[in-house]
Amino acid sequence: MRSRNGNRPILYAICAVTSAFSLLADDYLIGYRLTTRNAQSIQESLDISKAMMPCPQKHRSPLTLKRDNNESIETLLIRDRTAFIEYASSQVMQLKSDQTIVGTNIKSLQILTLPTRCYAVEFNDDFVTISLLE
Amino acid sequence: MRISAALTLALSVSALHAGFFQSDDKVSNVKCVYSGTEGHCVEPVLKSGKELVITVLGQGVAPSVTASPAQAYALAKRAAIADGYRQIAERVRGVQVEGQDSIKNMMLQQSSTRTSVEAVVRGANVMNTTFKEGLCEVEMEIALSYTQFAQ
Repeated sequence: MRSRNGNRPILYAICAVTSAFSLLADDYLIGYRLTTRNAQSIQESLDISKAMMPCPQKHRSPLTLKRDNNESIETLLIRDRTAFIEYASSQVMQLKSDQTIVGTNIKSLQILTLPTRCYAVEFNDDFVTISLLE
Repeated sequence: MRISAALTLALSVSALHAGFFQSDDKVSNVKCVYSGTEGHCVEPVLKSGKELVITVLGQGVAPSVTASPAQAYALAKRAAIADGYRQIAERVRGVQVEGQDSIKNMMLQQSSTRTSVEAVVRGANVMNTTFKEGLCEVEMEIALSYTQFAQ
């Protein structure tokens, strides 16, 4: 059992780490849209922009991605798109699906949209952590 | 003494009548969900304290022209995930069906069916992925609980 004064350095360290994390992390708005036709992906777009308005500050469990040679977030997300989409899609995904059957001809069109949301991105030397902000 | 016993008995009978001492079975009775116009009592699928897990198998095909096998796999997997989401939405939310038949001189000329679904899916997870001969299959799962819908 330590005294109240003895616990202060630990509390200061926790506060410093928390504030450093919030200061170092940049907020980005990221959205994704995938169009598939007849079970084949025909178009996908990943939109990334720096947040120009304050984002919520509640962090979800982060996703860690490997970073090579000071890569930008755009390059990194295009490379590791699958990992990011799996991370982000476990929250909310919008779906619009149409299937038309004329005689023996079947056509299907699906649009999957990941709504644009705020993510805190913390850059490190060889990895990046991305956390959804809510 | 006899008067107090009679009074207690009378109070107990009236309390029972009012439903104060109902058995647990009656209290825990679930509300009926009435479907359609028939008014049959249908018990809700989701019950409090129990989770309903829905598992679907989404399928996607790799495009015939891709830059690399890795790209083919990634694109097929995304298409499979989209298919998995469609199946989840169809099972949870339901599907809208429209049909049209064209008849000329008492003969069927053309028959078409259109199915559509639009939904927001929250909390679906990819459990397993297999890729074989250009076909990607993803096993997706969503857990529904009573509390998600009781609000």
